[in-house]
Amino acid sequence: MKKERNYLPEQYSRTAGLPINHNYLRQQFADYAKILKKIGRLAQEGDYTLGKQVDEFEANIRKLTGSRHAIGVGSGTDAIFLSLKASGIGNGDEVITTPYTFVATIGAIVATGAKPVFADIGEDYNLDPALLVPRISARTKAILPVHWSGLPCRMDAILNIARQHHLSVIEDSCHGIRAYFKGKAAGTFGLCGCFSMHPLKNLNVWGDGGYIVTDSDEIYKRLMLLRNHGLADRNECRIFGYNSRLDSIQAIVANHLLQKIDAITKARIDNARLYDEVLREIKQIIIPPRRPDAVQVYHLYIVRAERRDELQKYLLKNGIDAKVHYPVPMHLQPAAKIYGYKAGDFPVCERTCKSVISLPVHEFITEKQIKTVAKKIKEFYA
Amino acid sequence: MRKIQFVNLGLQYRSLRSEILAAFDRVSRQGAYVLGKEVGLFEEEFADYCGTRHAVSVANGSDALYLALIALGIGAGDEVITVPNSFLATAWAIARTGARIVFVDVGNDMNINPALIERACTRRTKAIMPVHLTGRVADMDAILKIAKRRRLHVVEDAAQAVGARYHGQYAGSFGVCAGFSLHPLKNLHVHGDGGVITTSNEKIYSTLIQLRNHGLVSRDICNLIGINSRLDSVQAAIARIKLRRLEKWNRRMRFLAGIYSSGLSRFVVVPEEKRYEESCYHRYMIRLEKRDDLGKFLENNGIETKVNYPVPIHLQPAAKSLGYRRGDFPVAEKLADTILSLPLYPEMKDPDVTFVIEMIRRYFERRGSCEKGPAGRARRRGFRFRRSATSKRGCYAKA
Repeated sequence: MKKERNYLPEQYSRTAGLPINHNYLRQQFADYAKILKKIGRLAQEGDYTLGKQVDEFEANIRKLTGSRHAIGVGSGTDAIFLSLKASGIGNGDEVITTPYTFVATIGAIVATGAKPVFADIGEDYNLDPALLVPRISARTKAILPVHWSGLPCRMDAILNIARQHHLSVIEDSCHGIRAYFKGKAAGTFGLCGCFSMHPLKNLNVWGDGGYIVTDSDEIYKRLMLLRNHGLADRNECRIFGYNSRLDSIQAIVANHLLQKIDAITKARIDNARLYDEVLREIKQIIIPPRRPDAVQVYHLYIVRAERRDELQKYLLKNGIDAKVHYPVPMHLQPAAKIYGYKAGDFPVCERTCKSVISLPVHEFITEKQIKTVAKKIKEFYA
Repeated sequence: MRKIQFVNLGLQYRSLRSEILAAFDRVSRQGAYVLGKEVGLFEEEFADYCGTRHAVSVANGSDALYLALIALGIGAGDEVITVPNSFLATAWAIARTGARIVFVDVGNDMNINPALIERACTRRTKAIMPVHLTGRVADMDAILKIAKRRRLHVVEDAAQAVGARYHGQYAGSFGVCAGFSLHPLKNLHVHGDGGVITTSNEKIYSTLIQLRNHGLVSRDICNLIGINSRLDSVQAAIARIKLRRLEKWNRRMRFLAGIYSSGLSRFVVVPEEKRYEESCYHRYMIRLEKRDDLGKFLENNGIETKVNYPVPIHLQPAAKSLGYRRGDFPVAEKLADTILSLPLYPEMKDPDVTFVIEMIRRYFERRGSCEKGPAGRARRRGFRFRRSATSKRGCYAKA
C-alpha cells in the first residue's frame, strides 16, 4: 500500500494536479523573474547572510507592526525557541500553551529544556484564558498563546493573568501576520511575537524563514547575539548562541511579497467571508464564532464537520484538497508520553481535533471554486 | 508628539509625482486642454470600472447631480426626494433645477430609510436621490422596487462612493444616472474640482454631452440651452493614473477600517457592514454621545478628527423657506450630534491606526465607564491597576 504522506505542509504540493488545492505557490510567484533579478544583483555583491536586504526587511516589519524592534531568524520554530531563550527560560521551567497547535510550538519549548504544560482551548480554537490559571505552578515562567489560523487569542485577559502571576508572554503568531486584536497587531502584546514565513504562510519566502518582534531593548540585544553564535563582533563571543539567520535571498523574497500583503490579506478575509456565507446553510458544519474584537486573517479556514474523515475522503476524491490541521492533539503525541497526559485531559481540544477540516482559502481561490466546495459538501451530506 | 492628520494628500502625490508630471507634460504638449483625448479615455475607463455603458465627466460633483436631474427633465413644479444628512451640494443641486427638495429621514446605516420614502411621495414627485454616505451604498434593492412601482427616476449621489459595492455591483450602476465627485478629499480625486456622471441610457447620455458644453451639438449648432461644465484634460489624465490604483487603495482602506472596528467596537458604535455590502470607507465614522469631548481629547493628542456634518441640511438657515423644523427627522438630527470621523487614508500606516485606537481607549479609561469586559468591570467597581513597589508588574486592587 502506498504510504499516505500528507501530514506535513511540504507535501501539499503532491496534490498540485487537482483543481482546488492548498498550494498556490506557482501562481503566487508567476513574477519570479523580478525577484531573480534582485537575487542576481545580490550574487554580484555576495552579501548572503545578514546583508542589507535583511536590515531593509526588518525595517519594513517595524513599520508594519509598529514595534520597536524586528529580528529576522531562520524559521518560525527558531523564532519561538530564541524568544524563550532570550527571556531566560530553560531547564526546570514550565511554559503554558495550547495542545491544539503544530508540533513546532511544543518542540521549541522542549528544546529550551523547559516543560510544556497544556491548557484547554475554547470554541474559537484558541487558549481559553479562564482555564489558564489552574495550570500555573511555582515553576511556570511563561505563557505561550498561539494565534491559531490567524485569529488572535484574547490577549487582554491573558496579559492580565500574566501580570498577576509575574509571567512572560511569548506569542506564537506564526499564523497571525497582520491579524489584529482590539486594534493592536498580533505579536505586539507580549514580550516577543514570533512569526513564520514558511512557504504556505500569509507572508512567505522560498524556504524557511521567520522573524521576531519585540519592544524590549534588552531582549532585542540578546536576540541579536543569540541568532548569530553570540558574536558581538567577528572575534568576541559574549554568550554561546546559535546559528539562526534569515538569508539575504529570503529577505529579498519577503520584501517583494510585503508589497502585496494588503491584497493577500484582503483576499483571504473575503474568501473566508464567502465560505461562512455558503457553509452556514449546511447544518452538519459548525462555523466557529466570529469575534468582533478581532481582525482574523485566515491562514487556514477551519470548520468542524460531522463525519469528518469520510467528508475529507469525499472531497479529496472530487479534487478538493481538504486538509486536517491537526488530527492528533499535542498531549496525545507519542513524543509527549513522558509528560503523562491521557485522552480526556483536554476535552474541547480533543473534540476539535476529531472534527476539524481545513478548506483551501488562499488568495487564488475564486468565488466559483468556493461555491463548488460548498456544493460538494452539500452533496456529501445529502 | 506624534501627529496624525485627517488627510494627507502630499503622501499620495509623492508616490505618483513622476507619473503625474509626465501626464501634465503630455497634455500640455498636445495642447488639447478642454475635452481632449484624455477626457474621452477617462470616461471610457470610468464607465468600465463602474459597469455602466457611459460616463460623462463634468466640472464638479454638484454639477454632476444638477446636470443629471436636468437631463431627466426635472424642473420647476417637480419634487425630488433625498436625505437631510448629506453635504449641502446634494440638496442645492435639486433646488438649482427649480424642483422642490423633499427630505426623508435616514436609517441606522446613515442612508435613506426605504420604509419612509412612499409616505413622502406625491403626484409631483419625479425622482429619488439616495446618498451613499461615507462610501456605503444605500439599500438599493428596496429603493429600486419603490421607484419602479411609483415610476420614479433614481439618481444616485455617489459622490463619496466610488468603488463601493452592493451585492457585488458597483455604486453608480443602480439608478438611471449617478453623480460622482472627484474633489481632492474623495477616494478617487483630481488636483482640483471634478465630477462624473454615469448612465447606461443612450438618450440621457447624448443630452448630457450637450448640456455640459453650452448645449452644442457641433461647433456651430446649439440644440438646447446648456452650461459650461467640463473636466480639464489635465485633470482627466491625473484621474486616469489614480483610477488604475483605486481598487488597491480601497482594499487598504477597508483593511484599516477593519482594524478600527476591532479596536473600537467595545467603546463606540462602529459601522457594521452587512455581508453583501462593501463600503469604500470614504469616511470612517463612529458614533458616541460625547462626540465633541472625544474630538477635543484627540485633538490635544495630535489626532485630527472631523464631523461630517454637524448641521443637517433642513436646519440650515438657507433651508428656512422649505419649512422644516427641528424634530422632523429625528434619526438624522441625532446622527449630526453623535458622529465623528476618524483619520483614514490609504497611505496611513497600520501602527497609526493602532495609535488612534490606543488614544480613544485612554479617553474611555480615563472616564472609566464605557469599557466592557473584566478590566472595565473592575474599574467600575473601584479597582485600579497598581504597580507593585518592587517590580514593574502589578495587579488590580481597591483604591
